[in-house]
Amino acid sequence: MVERSERAELRRLMERLAEGDRTAFGPVFVLLWPQLRAFAVRFIGAADGEDAAQAALLKVFSRASEYDRERDALPWAIGIAAWECRTLRRRRERRREESALAPAVSSAPSPEEATIDRDLRAAAEAVLGELRPIDVETIISIASGQRAVQGATFRKRAERALARFRLAWRARHGSE
Amino acid sequence: MAPNELLLEVRARRAYELGRLRWSLRFAPAVAAAFVVAVGCGRPLDVCGALGAAVLLLAVGLSFAGGEAGRAVTPGLVAGSFALVLPLAVRTIGHFCDSAACMSLCMPACVVGGALAGAFLALRAARDERGRVFLAAGVVIAGLVGSLGCTLAGLSGVVGMLAGVLVAGTPVLLAARR
Repeated sequence: MVERSERAELRRLMERLAEGDRTAFGPVFVLLWPQLRAFAVRFIGAADGEDAAQAALLKVFSRASEYDRERDALPWAIGIAAWECRTLRRRRERRREESALAPAVSSAPSPEEATIDRDLRAAAEAVLGELRPIDVETIISIASGQRAVQGATFRKRAERALARFRLAWRARHGSE
Repeated sequence: MAPNELLLEVRARRAYELGRLRWSLRFAPAVAAAFVVAVGCGRPLDVCGALGAAVLLLAVGLSFAGGEAGRAVTPGLVAGSFALVLPLAVRTIGHFCDSAACMSLCMPACVVGGALAGAFLALRAARDERGRVFLAAGVVIAGLVGSLGCTLAGLSGVVGMLAGVLVAGTPVLLAARR
């Protein structure tokens, strides 16, 4: 709790500072800094409170020449500190949201990659359409891992199906 | 005081000085406007440039320094605007001074403008209980701003304006303080 006399003293000192009296600077600093720090720590916690209080203190001194002598100095300074606390909190929240979004964004394909992938799928489907149903079924089995037949039979079917797929691809697109 | 608090105090002091300089520069548009009006009314560019630069430096410097002199900047600029506008307004009624010794309208306009400036400064000094520093700074700023217009009547116009400031300002100040 701030003493009434301390508050009145701060007001007098701020008036002098607003007038350009530099000798009031030190006493204003000594009176104001603990108040702003205590307020900011209560408002947003110890970790961010110190940063917010420092930013608020610099802003108070930066705007000291505009100080209106009709106003009480302490609520004015606390108002600036509250604003700084809110700004810092918003900035931290935004950064957290961005960092949470970042992996999802990086794992998603870029528009260029998505276009290439779509074109390749369309080309492969077109080539598959030219193959016999048994070859299509075998290639789908390779891709999905679900096999109707096992062992050497499947291996031979797979070799033949892939060889025909390559031939059909080369015939259509000129290269593999 | 802890070392980081000392560092914070240095940063706070720098913030204060920069903020004060920025605040003092608020007079720049008013000085620029006086310069544009004077040049627009045909005053020589070099004379107006020199006077405008002097007013700007003085207004920003005194405001930055603060104290009694800093408080005199706004009243000084307002008072000076009377002495600036009156001689220039003479042109709007179709009178053109063809020599520096024009006594029909230009010189009286400078003296009257100076008298208005002096009375205004004296009243402000008396009302706000200001001292010599306030009056001196106010008269210098008003004189420089007024000179932007009063050079219309040459050096005698400037002298006439300053005489008007003293002749009107002194009795008004004495009367207001009684």
